[in-house]
This record gives sequence, C-alpha cells and structure tokens, in this order.
Amino acid sequence: MDFYLGLAQIIGVHTLLGLSAYCVLLTGQVSLAQAGFFAIGAYVAAMLTVLAGWPLVPALAVAALAAGVTACAVSFPALRVKGLMLVVATVAFGEAVRLFFFNFDYQVARGDIRIGPHGGEGFRQIRYFPERGWSTLEVPLFIWAVVALVMAAMWWMDRSRTGAVLRAVGEDEVAAQSAGINITAVKVSAMTIGGVIAGLGGGLFAHYTTHIEHVQFGVVLATFAIAYPILGGLSNVFGTLLAVVFIQGFLVEGLRFLGDWRNLLFGALIVLAMNVRPNGLLDARSTTALRRLFGRQRGASGA
Amino acid sequence: MDLLDIIDTLQSVADGVLFGTTYAMLGIGFTLIFGVMHKINLAYAAASIGAAYASLLILAGLKAPPALVFLLAAVSGGVIGGLIYLICFRFIPLANPLATLMSTVGMLLLIDEIIVHTTAGVPLAYPALFSDVIVRAGPFTLRGDLMFVFVLGCACMVLLLALLYRTKLGLATRAVSQQPAAARLCGIDLARVNALTFVITGLVGGMAGAMTGAAIGMLSPLLSLPLTVKGLIVTVIGGLGSIPGAIIAGLLVGGLENLFQSLRGVSERDLYVMLLLFVFLVFRPGGLFGSVGERS
Repeated sequence: MDFYLGLAQIIGVHTLLGLSAYCVLLTGQVSLAQAGFFAIGAYVAAMLTVLAGWPLVPALAVAALAAGVTACAVSFPALRVKGLMLVVATVAFGEAVRLFFFNFDYQVARGDIRIGPHGGEGFRQIRYFPERGWSTLEVPLFIWAVVALVMAAMWWMDRSRTGAVLRAVGEDEVAAQSAGINITAVKVSAMTIGGVIAGLGGGLFAHYTTHIEHVQFGVVLATFAIAYPILGGLSNVFGTLLAVVFIQGFLVEGLRFLGDWRNLLFGALIVLAMNVRPNGLLDARSTTALRRLFGRQRGASGA
Repeated sequence: MDLLDIIDTLQSVADGVLFGTTYAMLGIGFTLIFGVMHKINLAYAAASIGAAYASLLILAGLKAPPALVFLLAAVSGGVIGGLIYLICFRFIPLANPLATLMSTVGMLLLIDEIIVHTTAGVPLAYPALFSDVIVRAGPFTLRGDLMFVFVLGCACMVLLLALLYRTKLGLATRAVSQQPAAARLCGIDLARVNALTFVITGLVGGMAGAMTGAAIGMLSPLLSLPLTVKGLIVTVIGGLGSIPGAIIAGLLVGGLENLFQSLRGVSERDLYVMLLLFVFLVFRPGGLFGSVGERS
C-alpha cells in the first residue's frame, strides 16, 4: 500500500510540473525552464519550513510566488525570441538555476548538526512531515488536494476568455495580434502562471523527498515537464494527467519487472507514441469521441 | 595577478579554443538541420557520442589500427543520422513542431540508454592520436592531441563548406533552407534533401563525437546532455542558420569556458557560459552573424 501512496505523491507532483509546461505550451512557446522554477520552489519552500520554521502552506505560497516572480522577470528577455532560440534560452536559464544551487551554500547550526543547502551535497533533513507526525496517507492526500485545486483552476481558465486568448496566441500570433491581443503580455502571463505552478510543485516535492540536490533539477526534468503535455495532448488538462500516469505509473514503475530493458523501452515508446499520435494521446478528436461515448452531446463546442 | 597566472590563463584559453572546434561542429549540425527543416534535432549530440561509441565497437571487432577510429565514427554518425531522420521525422507531420521535438527527446534518451546498456555505464578509454607530441612555444605548450583535433575539425569544416557551396547537393540544400516551396517547384525532392542533410550532419557529428573522445581521452554517456546544451548555445550565439557564426561561436565558447574555469573554478564555469548566452539574447538576439531584425 505504501508503494502506491508513494507513487501517488510522485504522480501528483509531476502533474503540477506538467501543468506548468502545459500553460506555456498553450501560447505556442516551448519552455525548458520549468525545472528551474521547480528548483526555486523546492529550495525556497524547504528553507522557509526548515530554517525559518514556517508552517507548510504559507511556505508553499511564498515559494510559488518566488518562482512566479522569477518566471515573469526571465520571460521578458527570453520572449524576445521564439522557436529554437527560446528553447535554448530556457535551457540555459534552467541550467543556470541548477548551477546556482550547485554553488549555493547557506547552513545554520541547529543543535550539533548543521542544516541547510550545502552546495553539491544538496539540502538534507527536510523533515517537516515526519516531525509534524503526518501519516503516509495524509501526505499524498494533501498533495492531491493541491493538484485538484490547480487542475480545477486550469480547467476553468481553459474554458474562459483567458484560455481562448492563450490558444489564439498559440495558433497564430499575427492573427491574434491583429485582433488586438497584446501578445507579449499574454506570453509573459502564461510564463508567470507556469512559474507559480512549477514553484508549488517544487515546494511539495522538496517536502516529500526530504532531500533535494541540484542534479534532480537538470535538463532531464525539464524535458519531462514538456513531455507530459505534448505526449498527453494540448486539448485539455486531463491529457497531461494521463501522460503523467502513463510515464510515471506505467513506463517507470509498471515496467520495473523488465529490469535494465525498461530504460531502453522508455525512449523507444516515446518515439513510437509521437509517430502514432503526433497530437498527443488525448487529442481534440478523442476528447469529442469520449464525450459522445458518455452521452453528453455537446459536440465540439468546448473541445 | 602576476605573470605566471596570466600565462596559465592564456594557456587554458588556448586549449579551450582548440577544443572549441568540437562545439563548432556540433553547432554546425544543429544549424544545418534547423536551416533546412526548421526543426530542432535534440538527439544530435547524443547521436554524435553514440557514433563515437560505435566506432570503438567496430574498431574492436575489426582489429583495425586506431587511426581509423575517426573515419569509422564519421560513417556510423552518418548512418545514425539517417536512422534518426527515418524514425523521428519521416512519418510525423511537419506542421506539428512539438511532435518532432518530443520524438527527438525520446531518441536522445534511447541512445543514452543503449550506450549505458552495452557498456554497463562504464566510461571507455578513447584512442588519442599524437598524444605524445607536445609543442613548446616560449612559455606555452600545445598538446599534440588537441592540435590534431583542431586541424581535423578545420579540415571537416572546409570540406563541409565545399560541399555546401560547390556541389549540386549543396545548392539544393541551400535552396530548400531559403524557400522550400520554390525549391520544390524547381524539381528538388524535399524528402531526399532532408534525409541527406541528416546524413551529412551525422557525418560531421560523428567526427565531433570522436574528437571529443580523443580530446578528453574517454567516452561516457554523461557527455551527451552537456554537449547538447553547449551545441545549442553555440548555435544561438553564432546566429541561427549561419555556419561561419557557428564556427566562431564554437571557438569563442570553448575559449571563454576555459577562461571562466581558470578564473572562477570548475563548478561555476557553466554558469557564466549561460549568462553569456543571456547577454547575447538581450543585446543581440540574432546572434553574431544573424540579421538583427530577424527573430525566428
């Protein structure tokens, strides 16, 4: 049972990471900086609860805010470019954040041990949950409450005018601009929202793993972040959730019995999935088909 | 800073510039593929390392002299490049840039894992040529293996430029990169040119992988991600689609990297390379040789 609870934690946090990239991808931008925002959220939240002794919820809020502000600040220079240039710019930003934490040393003595981020060794002893006596059931429940909240907000945003504006910019920038949309403002807001969600995910991640270090937030995590929404399809937020379950639940955990071969299959299956379903697992057509299947004849209105 | 420190710093910058040829070649590969297809092949650097590994494997199988290793690496790079085109690009609609981006990420992971699987993750020694030759020039020394890598890289780049600007295939490639629709009207087979571009960049990449192995003295699957990032940075600093830009940016990044390393230490080195990229993005988004107005 504990195994499945642990898996639920991983899936929850990765869903947040995927949703943060989803938000940016809606505007047609590929950002590999999400791992950097995730790292900022993780370190800020952990430092607030461990070093400053804050309760978890305000610490998460500040972490999300810090990541959001960073995302907003970095998106102004980064969004001057697009396409490949943006990919490279965001990779560089993500790596710069990782390297910053690699060199970041801020330890305080607590009793006879020193705690806090310690350069390459990372940040150990984030013992908020065990110290407060949270059970192994309560932790995933809390994480999933946050995930549900974020997903509901994203779902609502997707169907409101905001979502339409984001998608309009993603579909055709020139057309959106001539319809009177300020595309820079839209892209910067999308990046900021993405940063907030990634920071939230990072804060949760730091607390359930209890030990964070720079290598966890590298390019691989950033590619995972964009892999979820792309693999799941951009038609709605559940595509991302589906892709996270597919990757973390099936490819990573479900295929463990294959031993070493699992890792080989991992990349091959992603390539295969993109060949078979280039628009994602849950694309607009299958969403409509699913709706019809469940007898809700709403047609293609929201899809 | 006394004289000895300055000499040390200059020495490491010179070594960096020599090693920078590998970055330049990777940058050329990214730039060429982007120029022709307007797509990013994120598996490119991983394929280069994979080609270097393949050359070691073939070398061991054939019991051939180590000097052949570079040729073998280039050939296997070409084969892998063609395969990547077939698997990650051929059957995916080109109108969907995200799909090919993701498929090349999958390919990157796949190549890395194949390498880990066949070598059990242990770094392999790579044969270096002329590693016993050391040229002394005043207070400076030039390592023979790095010099060889540099000369080889320059030869490859000259060959590539000749191919692009002196042959019919090169003309077709440039035509496709400028205006695909018009190129098609002139009877150029887009799929064929795209596939051949992947093979050619694969040849260059395989050579770059072998040069990296020879300069570092070993091969490890851990090399592929940093090389991907460096190659992309070189592409952007040089200006997208510009081959001379990629060459100069490669040498520049190689030299500056070692300068930062000798000034600030190895753990902060890459941080400054990333900051350098941001400086370029803010003040010169088109790169060194790109037109300033164009921001694609």
